[in-house]
Amino acid sequence: MTATADFIPYNAVNTKSSRSFERQAEYAPEDFHDHLFELEAEGEWIVQRVPEPYVEVMTKFGRKKKIPLELTWHHKSCGQCGHIPGYSTAIFWLNRKLNFKYIDPTDQTSCTAWNYYASATSNAPAQAGVAMRNFAAAYETGYFPLIHCGTSYGHYKEVREEMMHHAEMRHQVRDVMKKLGKPLVMPEEIVHYSEWVHAVRDRIAALQTRDFSNLAVTVHPACHYYKLVQEDAIYDPDIYGGQRTATVSALIVALGAQVRDYSTWFDCCGFGFRHILVQRDFTRSFATRRKIQVMKQEANPDVVITHDTGCVTTLDKSQFVGAAHGLDVGVPVMSDAQFAALAMGAHPYRVCQLHWHSTEYRPLLEKMGIDHEKAWAEFQEDLKELKSGKKEYLTWEDVG
Amino acid sequence: MTSDTTLIIGGGPAGLEAARLIGDLGQKAILVEKRDALGGIPIAEHYAALTHGFRSAEEAMNELIAAARANPTVDIRLSTEVVECSGAAGDFRVKLAKAGNGAGETVNVGAIVVATGFQHFDPGRETQMYGYYEYDDVITLADAEKMLKENKFVTPSKDMPPERVCFIQCVGSRDRQIGNEYCSKVCCGISSKQAIEIRQQVPGAKVFIFYIDMRMYGYWENEIYWPAQEKYHVQYVKGIITEIIRKGDRLLVRGEDTTMGRPMEVPMDVVVLAVGMEPSKGTKDVAKILGVKQNKYNFIDVPHDALDPTATSAPGIFVAGAAAGPKDLDDTMSMAGAAAMKAAALVTKKARAMA
Repeated sequence: MTATADFIPYNAVNTKSSRSFERQAEYAPEDFHDHLFELEAEGEWIVQRVPEPYVEVMTKFGRKKKIPLELTWHHKSCGQCGHIPGYSTAIFWLNRKLNFKYIDPTDQTSCTAWNYYASATSNAPAQAGVAMRNFAAAYETGYFPLIHCGTSYGHYKEVREEMMHHAEMRHQVRDVMKKLGKPLVMPEEIVHYSEWVHAVRDRIAALQTRDFSNLAVTVHPACHYYKLVQEDAIYDPDIYGGQRTATVSALIVALGAQVRDYSTWFDCCGFGFRHILVQRDFTRSFATRRKIQVMKQEANPDVVITHDTGCVTTLDKSQFVGAAHGLDVGVPVMSDAQFAALAMGAHPYRVCQLHWHSTEYRPLLEKMGIDHEKAWAEFQEDLKELKSGKKEYLTWEDVG
Repeated sequence: MTSDTTLIIGGGPAGLEAARLIGDLGQKAILVEKRDALGGIPIAEHYAALTHGFRSAEEAMNELIAAARANPTVDIRLSTEVVECSGAAGDFRVKLAKAGNGAGETVNVGAIVVATGFQHFDPGRETQMYGYYEYDDVITLADAEKMLKENKFVTPSKDMPPERVCFIQCVGSRDRQIGNEYCSKVCCGISSKQAIEIRQQVPGAKVFIFYIDMRMYGYWENEIYWPAQEKYHVQYVKGIITEIIRKGDRLLVRGEDTTMGRPMEVPMDVVVLAVGMEPSKGTKDVAKILGVKQNKYNFIDVPHDALDPTATSAPGIFVAGAAAGPKDLDDTMSMAGAAAMKAAALVTKKARAMA
C-alpha cells in the first residue's frame, strides 16, 4: 500500500478544535512533593533538592516540575550502552556542547526494571533498594540524578509512590541502606533526560547548524515515560493543546522539522519486556504492523523520533523482519538526543553512532545535508588508529 | 427575627417547582438565580426533548417558569447570588448580591431550599483519551442536545449529517481514577433518547452505543430501551472505549468488544460522550456559605437519605434536585415538593410558636 500524502500535521491536533481546555488544579491528584517534604521533616529520609540553575516546566495537571540544567549525575541505560551507544554519547555530547557540568558515574547499577516488567524479578523492597542505592550514590557526589532510560524513569516514579505510601517497606529499605553504609535519599524530582532536552530545546535550536525544515517526523512517546505515574510528565498548552505529552514533539518543533500525526500515536512500540524475551515475534508484529506501517501509510515520515531505549530498539530493529514478510516498512528510527545532536552538527558515526542502527538511515542523512560517505570514511580512519594500537579509544576531543 | 419567608437558591426545575408550591400554599418565597434567566440546565444548555416522555424541554421549563412567576408571593431575583448566611432555622439572615458585585441586601428568611443543581463532567480532565479538546467531532450529550433542538444534527467538522454516530457511556462516572465513583443515573436513558432522536432526524445514520451496563430502570426499559433497538435499530455494544484518534477524515474509536472478547477499532463521524453529573460551582459555593456538610464528591450531603431525601446537616436548610447528587427529573420534582412542604411546615410551626 503506497503512502498517502494526505497527512495530518501535529498542530492540526490542537488548533483545529474550536474548544480550548483549561486544567483546574482542584481536580489534580495529590502533589507528591508535599509528602516528600513531610517525610523529610519526620526524619524518614533526605530529599535531595534540584540544584540551581533549573527550568520549571508544566506537568499534566498544571503543576510545575523543576528540571536541572547541570550538575547532573547520569544514570545510564543498559540497553543504550549495550545496543545503541550513540544514544548515550549523544546525550553527553549535548551536555558538553551546552557547557553543562555533569558526572558519568562508574558505580551506577542497572535499575533492574526490565526484569521487573518481564515479571521475572525479586520483590518490592529489593526493587526499591536498587533504586535508593543509585539515588544515594548520586547524592554522595552532590550531583542530581538524570535518568537516561524511560523504563528506569517510570519504574523509579513507581518506587517513589511505594516508598512514600508504605512505611513498612520504606523502613525495610532504610535498613538495607544502613547495611550498605548509605543514606536514604529521595530526589526532589525524578527527571528523565528527554525532559532535560525539552527544557533546553531553545538553546539547542540556537546552536543548530543543519536545516531540518524539509524533514517529516513522526513521534513515538514512550509508555513508561507518560503512562506510569501519569501526572508527572510534561504537558504544554502550546503542544497538542496540552492534551498529549509534549516531550519530544516540542523539541522537533523547536528544530524546525515537521511533526506529523498518525492514528496509533498512543500505542506501545511493542517492546513488551517479557515479550521481547520470550515471544519476540509478537513484539516484531506489533512494532511493524501497528506502528511503522501505520506511520508510513498515514504520515510518510523521514524519521521516527522517540525517547526511550526499548522504543528505539524495537522500532528500529524489528523492521528487517517486517521487510522479510513484505510489509511496508523502512523508516529510520533514532532518539531525540541523537536527532538534536545531528541538528547541532554532530558527526553521525563518531557521536551518534548510527552504524549500530538496523533500518536504512542514509537517505535521511542526505536529506539533512550530511555527506555520510565522507563521514564514514573519517570513521574508518579512526578505527584504523584504534586497530593499530595508536590509541585505546576515541576521546571527546576526537569526536568534535 | 422569625421569618415567614422561604429562600430558594437556584431557578432550575427544582427551584421553580419549590417556589410554585410555596406560593400555592399562600406563603412567601424569594427565588434567587445566578444566571440572567430561569430554567436551569435544561434551558442554559438547550435541551431538546426530556428523557422519558419526549416532551420539549423548553416547553416544560416555560410551564414551570410561568407557574412560579404567576404567584404574587414569589419574589424572583435574577443575576443574584447568595454571598453570606447566618442564623438558624426560623431566623436566617442571608445577604444577596448582584452576581459578581459584592454589595447587596440582607434578607430575613425562615427556611432555605438549596436547588443549585449540577454541572456536566468536563471530558478534558482525565485518564480517558477521548479527545474532546482535540477534535470538534467528539461532543458531549449537551452539545448533542443543542444540535437536536435545532433539528440540525451534523458532523461538526464537516457541517454535514453523519453516517456513523456512537455514544460512549459512563464518561466521568463510575471511575476510581477520576474520583467520581458514583453512577450518574440518567445518562443511559438520555443517550438512548438521543439515539432515537438522531435516527429520527438523520434516518441514514447508523447509531451505536458503547456501554458497560445499560441502566434503564422502571418505564425507561420499555419506553426507551426497547424501541431504541426494535424500532430505531440503535446498536448497543458492550465494551469500554479506550481511545479516540483521527484517521483520515474520520475518527477511529478503539476499545474492547466484551461480548466478542477481543479489541475493536471502528470508524465514526461523531462521538457523543455521555458525561456524568458533578456538583455545580453554585452547589459548592453555597454549601460553604450556608455551612452545610458536603459528601466526598462535594454534593450536598443528605444524612438520612432514603426516608428523608431533602434533609441537610443544618436544620431549616433543605436540598432539592441534583445539588444532592445525580438525579433524574422525576426525583428532582419529587424532592422539590418535599422540600417545599418541609420549608413551609417549618415556617408555619415557628409562626405558631411565636403567636
